[in-house]
Parts: sequence; structure tokens; C-alpha cells
Amino acid sequence: MTALAPASGNRPLHTISFEGTAAWRGTPVRTQVRILTARSVRDLVLDRRLLAMSMVEPLLMLVAFGQVFSALARAPGFPPGVRYIDFLMPALLLTTALHSGVQAGMGIADDTRSGMLDRLRSLPIRPGSVLLARSVAGLARAVLRLAVLLAFASALFGYRPFAHPAGLLAAVALSLTVGWSLGWVFTALACWIERTEPLYAAAGLLMFPLTFASNAFVPIGQLPPWLRWTAGLNPVTHGINATRDLCLSGAVGTGALSAALTSLAIAAVTAPVAARGLNRPH
Amino acid sequence: MTRAGDAPAIEITGLSKRFGSVTALDGIDLTVPAGTVLGLLGHNGAGKSTLVGVLATLLRPTRGTARVAGHDVVAHAAGVRRCIAVTGQRTTLDLTMSGRDNLIMVARLLGARPRPARARAEHLLELFDLVRAADRPARTYSGGMRRRLDLAVTLTRRPEVVFLDEPGTGLDPVSRLNMWDAVRELTATGTTVVLTTQHLEEADRLAGSIAVLAGGRVIASGSPRELKSRIGHRTVTVELATDDDAVEARRALHRAGLRPVLDRVERTVSAALARDPDLTAVVRALDAAAVEPSRLTLTEPGLDQVYLALTGHRHAETP
Repeated sequence: MTALAPASGNRPLHTISFEGTAAWRGTPVRTQVRILTARSVRDLVLDRRLLAMSMVEPLLMLVAFGQVFSALARAPGFPPGVRYIDFLMPALLLTTALHSGVQAGMGIADDTRSGMLDRLRSLPIRPGSVLLARSVAGLARAVLRLAVLLAFASALFGYRPFAHPAGLLAAVALSLTVGWSLGWVFTALACWIERTEPLYAAAGLLMFPLTFASNAFVPIGQLPPWLRWTAGLNPVTHGINATRDLCLSGAVGTGALSAALTSLAIAAVTAPVAARGLNRPH
Repeated sequence: MTRAGDAPAIEITGLSKRFGSVTALDGIDLTVPAGTVLGLLGHNGAGKSTLVGVLATLLRPTRGTARVAGHDVVAHAAGVRRCIAVTGQRTTLDLTMSGRDNLIMVARLLGARPRPARARAEHLLELFDLVRAADRPARTYSGGMRRRLDLAVTLTRRPEVVFLDEPGTGLDPVSRLNMWDAVRELTATGTTVVLTTQHLEEADRLAGSIAVLAGGRVIASGSPRELKSRIGHRTVTVELATDDDAVEARRALHRAGLRPVLDRVERTVSAALARDPDLTAVVRALDAAAVEPSRLTLTEPGLDQVYLALTGHRHAETP
């Protein structure tokens, strides 16, 4: 260690020591994922705005759709004996999980912007660890939002979550699976596209028809013919059919299984694409 | 693993990098011995940051090869990353987390156990004068504090090669001196440092060798002394007590074969010296003329002269 140069009178009397750091040459993948996940989850908790948004959004959805469309329950073609809140909740579970997935996927763009990604890429870390951690943290956030959604719906809007407890749990699990998998598509996009602003715009544009051109708020039979046709093609419709079946009757349709498997297949394809995009030198 | 005294820390051969139609690097050849400081000097767009990006495995070269700490930057990028530390022009921090947590997280990711990671964070916070701000979110830090924290994170472990991309930017004068000290201490531990700078003084003060970049090429390289002696002249300035002495001194230096310039206001005579013995000639000539200088100073040529002569540009930040 060299002595302090006289020019640095204001400097604290320390010199750099690297004692004990020689063995720090990396850590196993599972430790990488654990540390990075803890970081993302902590960011979620520390960032009050983000936390508040996670709370307010489900409430807004409930007020907006639950109240505005509740008259639909008396319209012809609505499933008999079903209250609108019970019809709406399975759809909100799925779309909320989808939105969470999209946001989590693009969270990697925040790291690009802040320069944190350059730091992580310069460390001996697998790119997959960075992505997996983001995605797990996103899942945690989705769980939080679904819990808030269910709590508000039960406390304020008369939703009875435990009519079919096993069905509800399965619907939540399915929603999380679908949302988490779709998140990987957006993660892959965010890893390959340099400029993220157009990506945010594209995600918004895509999510709008996916959510509204579906049976989320209105039974598919009440839609105008052209929209009925579009909604029939929309994968979100099939996902909502599955969660609705689970919540309303506790029945596991083939829809639930195929929705889960299709989603996981999409994740299996897009996750490696995302990792390659992150690791590529520019 | 490369150690000081063994193979060079960095070997660059015929390195080029194009972004579409823009050639950012155009056939760079450079060798940096281990444990030394290389200063990459150049104005904006000269290719400094691109070169650092390639060496830090963040950018893929279009042509040519580069080896850092014995590893090829393309074929063995992971090996390079294990041996280097980078602090770029942008800070690379998690701004939501506190300064302390940033340091702890990187130490943990490098493989430190929780307790040593905390101790390491403490040492680095003290070293970079960030103890009082340690538990505030990095978002609330001033630009200079972020730079310091970024440098601290970079030094979590002893890297074999450190890349400092314009490290002085955004630092106040005291912080800059501290940063210079940190760089000197680093090289004393055997680490190789590559720093880019637009500040000629910074390169002059820190770097054992300098490569001047312009248009993606190395247009000159060598030690600061070599570069200066190749281009610049040392200047002797003689300060006299009276106007008569000043005039007499000018005549004396003229007789000695120099081209003295008289400043009547300051009562000084100055002359460029082409070779070292000229200084002796100056003293002899003054002595022979029985002129007693009140002060005699010898000025080294500045790198700004070097830069100007090589690139034909006056640097924007040159005073």
C-alpha cells in the first residue's frame, strides 16, 4: 500500500485494501438468483409509488368495471344465477396477472436505463440469473396484486372468494402461470430492442384489444358478431373461460390445462431467446 | 492468471468496430504492461468509450482481436469479466437501494458471505467518504457522490484490470484528487488501469503511457514525457529586478543563440529550449552579462500542446 499523496489533505486516512477479497470470483447460479430476486423485491417495497400503484390499480378496476357493467347481470344472455362480481373476478384475476407479467418483462428495461444492467453484465453472473430474478420478483408482485384484488372485492364489493376455495386457488395459480409466461415474451423483446419507449407503447397497444376484445367484461354471446369472432380467436378469452369455470363451478375444464401448457411452452421458447439477447455484445 | 511482470495485461491487435456505416475504431494496436496506467486521450467521438466497451466485453469488435488479462474478449468473455472492473461514463447503480446496499449486493454477487460483504461495504464507504450518506437511497446522491459510489462498487475486489471511463467527470476538485490517489494506490497493488479522459492534466498526472485517439485511430502513443519531448519545448523564464536588467538579459540570451522574448510589464525574459544543455547556456550567459535573475523557472510543455499539434483541434476544455 502506498502512503497518501500530500495533495489529498482532505481525504480520510485510509488506503485501499483488498484483504480477504481474493477468493471472490463468483457465486453459484442459485445464489445469484436469490440475491438478485431479493433486490428486485426490495425495490418493489422501497419504491412507495410502485407499491401504491399495485394497490390502487385493482381497486380502480373493481370500481370501473364492477360498477359500470353491473347492470349487465340483468341483461339477457347473462349466465343465470350469477352475480356480476362473480362473473368479473375470474377475468380480473387473469388480466391483472397478465398486466403484471408484461410490466415485469419490461422491468429489465429499467435496468438498462439506469445502467445497472451494464454493471451486472460486467460481473461474473449468468444472464439467465438476472432475468429469472426479475421474473420471480414480478411473480411476487403479481401475487400481491391478486391478493389486494381479492381482498378489496371481498371487503367492498361483496365477492365471496370461498364459494369454491379449491377452484379459486386453481384459478389464481393458472392466472399467475399465464401472466408469468407472457412476461417472458416481453422480457425477450426488451432484451433485443435497444429503445424501450416504442416497446412500452407497443405493449399498451397490444394489451388493449387483448383485454377488451374478449369475454372479460361481457359474455361472448352479447358481443357484436365481428367482435364475437375476434374474441373467439383471442387467447385471453380461453384463459378467462378456464378461470371462470374454476371459480364459478370449481370444475377443471380441459381449457385450464391447455392454457397452462400453452403458456409454459411459450415461456420455454422465449426465455432462452431473452437470455441470448441480454448476453449479446452490442 | 496474469500477474504483474508476466504477460501484458492488455494486447490489442488490428481492432476495428463499426456501428452501421460509422467506423468508431479503425485498426487499433496497443499493448499495456501489467501494473501500469494507460491514459486514452481524445475528444468526444474519438473512440475512447468504444474501445473500453470492447475491452470490457460489452461491445463485439468488427475486426481484430483483443486479450485482457490473458483472455480473448470474444471467445472467453466470461474469463475477462472475472478479472476486470468497469466504471463507465454513466453510473451503474441501483438508485432505489442505498449506497451501502449497492456495495453489499455486488460483494455478495462476487461470492462474499454476508458478514465480509458488510465489512467490505464499510471499508469502501469510508474510503470514498460516503459514510454519512451510506443509508440513503442512491437516488438522492449528488452527481459527484454517485461517481464515487460507482468507483467504490468497481473496487469491491482487486481487479486485474480496471477501466475508468472519464472517471473525473462530475467530481469536484477535492474528489478528483482523491480519485487520482485511489488510482495510484490501485497500481501499487499490481492492478492495471485504463482510463479515458478529455482532461490532459489527468492523463499527464496519472498515466505511465498515453495513447492519443482521434477518428478511431491511435495517432500517437508513449509516455507523457516522450510525447511532450517529441512535440513540445520546455520554456525558461527569467524574472528580473529592474527594466535595465531585463533588457540586458534579453541581449545575453540572444548572444547564447536563443530567441528570447521580453515582457516589459512583468519584467521577464522567456525562451524556448530545444535541448537540455540550453539551460546551462542560459545560466552562463546571464552570469557573463552580470545579470542577477530574481527568479528562474523552467516550464514543461503541456499535453494540450501535444494534443493540439497532433490533432489540429484545440480541445474544448483546454484552458
